This record gives sequence, structure tokens and C-alpha cells, in this order.
Amino acid sequence: MHTLHRQHRREILWMVGPAVLTLIVFSLYPLIYSIALSATDSQLARPFREFVAFKNYTDAARDALFGNSLVLTFIYAFGVTAIETIIGFGLALLLNRESGPTRFARTLGLLPFITPPVAIAAIWRLIYDPSSGMLNHYLVRAGILEQNVAFLGIPGLAMASVMLVDIWQWTPFVFLLSLAVLASLPHEPYEAAAVDGANGWQQFIHITLPMCLPGLLVIAILRLIGAMKVFDLVFMLTFGGPGSSTQVASFYIYKVAFQQFKTGYASAMTIIVIIVLSVLVTLLTALYRRAQAKYGP
Amino acid sequence: MTEQAISPPLRQRPAKPLHPMRTAMHLLRWATVALLLAFTLIPLIFMVTTSLKSPIEIRVSGSLFPSEGIFLVNWERAFRNVPLPRYLWNSLVVGVMSTTMTLLVAVPASYAIVRFRAGGRWLPSWILGTYVAPPIVISVPVFMLMRSVGLVDQPFGLALLHMVANLPVATWMLMDFIRSLPVEVEEAAQMDGASYWGVLLRIVVPLILPGLIATAIICLILSWNEFLFALILTYSLRSQTFPIGISEFQGEHGLQFGEISAAALTGIVPVYVLAMFFQRYLIHGLTRGSVK
Repeated sequence: MHTLHRQHRREILWMVGPAVLTLIVFSLYPLIYSIALSATDSQLARPFREFVAFKNYTDAARDALFGNSLVLTFIYAFGVTAIETIIGFGLALLLNRESGPTRFARTLGLLPFITPPVAIAAIWRLIYDPSSGMLNHYLVRAGILEQNVAFLGIPGLAMASVMLVDIWQWTPFVFLLSLAVLASLPHEPYEAAAVDGANGWQQFIHITLPMCLPGLLVIAILRLIGAMKVFDLVFMLTFGGPGSSTQVASFYIYKVAFQQFKTGYASAMTIIVIIVLSVLVTLLTALYRRAQAKYGP
Repeated sequence: MTEQAISPPLRQRPAKPLHPMRTAMHLLRWATVALLLAFTLIPLIFMVTTSLKSPIEIRVSGSLFPSEGIFLVNWERAFRNVPLPRYLWNSLVVGVMSTTMTLLVAVPASYAIVRFRAGGRWLPSWILGTYVAPPIVISVPVFMLMRSVGLVDQPFGLALLHMVANLPVATWMLMDFIRSLPVEVEEAAQMDGASYWGVLLRIVVPLILPGLIATAIICLILSWNEFLFALILTYSLRSQTFPIGISEFQGEHGLQFGEISAAALTGIVPVYVLAMFFQRYLIHGLTRGSVK
């Protein structure tokens, strides 16, 4: 901008100071602490007991439950992100005009993702309940199911059931953001295409989709990052079960750290999770940059 | 604004009269909204009706609407068995504290980052990058830290962590709002000898007030809904928040679905009232960032 006077420099320092301090205390320090702790055989009540070097990491590599939790986290995150993005964007395309239904849907769409997840999970537990749940009640009545099903009690099905709650909660979010992306598209390409006689489908494939791609990627990445954190739904709906079939990474690490008190081992796993997520985010950012360069404004 | 510009010419067709087609599209649109409405609202309606059913009916029937009349016994029991007002009060205290702290940290930082490129590229990347990490990865060190400074089971301790969790969201939103302001006004004020803080407080903050409100509401809701940090950091009624109250419910009393539904609703209604009240700010604030 222009040369900074000493006084101005001090002002700027005070503006970013609190944020930098927050980052140091709650991001840098925890990272260093975790790395240090992961090299020890620590318990919650007695940290830094015994130096074990990389033992926790080799243990984690051999821990089938940890591998399982990473795989489940990826299945969950990519699964719900794909479904939410496709349905949310599809709905936005369908309702992309200022009319009664759209205004209505926009107001309604606000509700699910601001609802406390714990409260949502509580009601979905009753919806899924094997003896008196609403889903069984109506599916049996409609003849779709012959008898009641324990939606949260069967491996695989339990995972799908938890994912459905996530889809209930976050598809409207994708829908709202997709509407905004569509609203930001310029008019000129459509006018040119109309002059050239392109039909609606051709316009969609050659104009709408490419121009929406960067925005859609941002939305999908936001959802993916959010879904990778899933904890409360699992805690409330299945507590990781049946067996370990819904035991996602956050939940498994929570159990190891705060129920088995093995903080050293939990720290090693968090470091691995951080590395995995960093790689993932780097790849996604690169993907976004390419989409932006190719289709962006 | 989201309100005005929602109609790019997506379905613009050559000016042929396509009336049956139009009607069909209109019907399809309403049908979709109806389906969406059902999928979204049925769980919420079910929560309300369950809280009003008799406990016996809840055990035997999963029908959406009560068939044996309406009972308030679940509400009575929910309030008698669990100190709900206390949980809600704690949530409010933590929410207000954390939102205030988030704004105090994020507003000046966002301004300095956008206008003076403070911290170069790494400061904004670092702040926004913390959003990627799941809360569980910092929970062990943060728990130890909080315990050593006596902030475990204190509303302020939890509020501090909610501030940390919401900082990237708030910064992301605020940076965008500040960027959209014309810089000339600020430069004119600086010519007149105003300090950077003076410009920020007297010119920038009033101009981004709608964005500031949207950010505050979102931080408040995120804090109200947060579960993992509350689970790790709170032990007693001194600081336990509403989500913890709901999870305790299930533990202590088995699966009393009627009571849980009533209790859950007490925490949902304030959020919905807030959201409806500030609806326009919220949609505006949420949808801006993704378009850029």
C-alpha cells in the first residue's frame, strides 16, 4: 500500500496479535505437544512417562481397528459428500428461479444444518428404533419390509443409517450454496448460446456445468472437511457399533484417549490423521486450482 | 444480495410458446419442494408429536401422529428429571462469551490481513487451515493445558475452545465482507489523520454490520451445537451445556424417547427462533463465500 510508519506497524501488530497468540497456544503448541507425547507411553493421569520412540506409530500401523476407523471415515466423508453435492446441486438447478417454491425451499433449507446434531441424533434414534421406530412402522405397513429391522444394529446398514442423518442435515446446505453459485453466473454466454441455437441440455453441459465447477468444488471440499470430523452423530446413534462397524477415526481416538486413557497412543494416531488430512487437502486444493484455471472467471 | 439475483437465464429457451412444458416444470418444481419438505420436516414433526404422545404409545407405535390424545407428561418429566434450564443457561453463557471473543479476535485480524496483507500468505492460510483439523486431534493437549490452568469444567474454558473452533469460520466470512468494501473511503479517512484502529472501528465496522451480525449468529449457533469439546471439558452442572444434557439423558434414564424429544426441542426452538429472526443475514452471510 504505502510505506508503513512505525506507529502504523504497531497498530497492525495489535490487530493480528490476538489471532496469532490463539494460533500459537491452540494450534502450534498442541501439535508440538502431540508429537512429543506420541513418542512416550503416556496415560491421561501421568503424561510423559516412558520414552518409546516410534512404538506407538508401529502399533498404530498394526492396529486393525485404527485402519478400519480411517477407512470408515473416508467411506463416510466421501459417501455423504457425493450424495449431498449431487442432490443439493440437482435441487438448485430445478429450483433456480425466483418463485414461490424456491423462496419456500430456501427458508426451509436453513433448518436442518443449524439444528444441534445431538438433538437430531436423538430423534433419528427413535425413527430407526427396531421395536417402535417410525421407519419400521411405515415400511412394514407399506409392505416394503416383512418385519422390523434394527437399522442401527446391523453392520453396514448401521453405517448407511448414520450417513442418512448426515445427508438429512447437510443436503439443504449444499442446496443453498448451489443456488448462490448459480445466481453468480454471468448472462452473456447464455445469450450467445441462444443465438447459436443451443438447446437447454447443451447449454447445461457446455455452460452451466463448467462455470459452476469451481464453486461446486468449494462446496464439496467444505462438506468433505466437515464430514471427516464426524463424531457427535456416531456417539449418539451407535457409539461406534455394532462391533466397530461405525467406529470412525474421531470416535476411535476419543475412546483410546478418554476412555482407555492411552494418550500417548492416541497422540500418535492424531499425528497420522493430521498427515493424512494434509495430503488430502493439498490434493483437493490442487484440484480446485486446476478447475479454477480452466473454468473460472 | 441473494434475494434479487437468483435468476440467471438457465432455462431460457427460444421464444416459442411452451405452455404445457412450462406447466409440467412448474408442477415438477412444486412436487420436488413437497418431497423435500416431507423429508426435512417429518423428523422434526415426529420429535414434536413424540413429546406429546403418552409414554405407552411411544413404546408400541411408531406412527407419526398420536392416536391416544395429547399428553404433557413427557415435558413434565423432562424438566423434573434433568436440570434443563441449567444446561440451556450454560449454553447461552458459553455461546455469548465465545462469540464475543471470536469477533474481538477475528475482526481486527481479518481487517489487517485484507487491507495490509498482515502475516503475508501464511497467516490467513494458517487460520483457515485450522478448520481442516478435526477437534479430536487437539483435544488431548488442550485438555492437559486447560487442566493445568484450572479451566476444566469452567464455562470460560469451553468458550475459549469454541472461539478457537470458530475462528477460521469467522475469519473466512469477515475477510470476504471487508474485501467487498471500497477502499477509497478508508484511504480518505487516513488522509484526514485517522489511525488504523479509528478507521476500523468508525468506518469499517459500521459498513460491514450486516456481515458482522451474520458472523455472530453463526458463531453463536456453532457454539450452541458443539459437542466434543463440551464432552471432554465439562463434568458438572457448573459448565455442562445443552448437548451434554441430551447425551446424559440417554445414559441415566434408558431410552425415554418422549422425554428426550421434549428436552431436545427446548434446545432446538431457540436456534430456530434466532435463525428465523435473522434469516436474511444468515443466508446472505453463508452463501457469499462460496461464490467467490
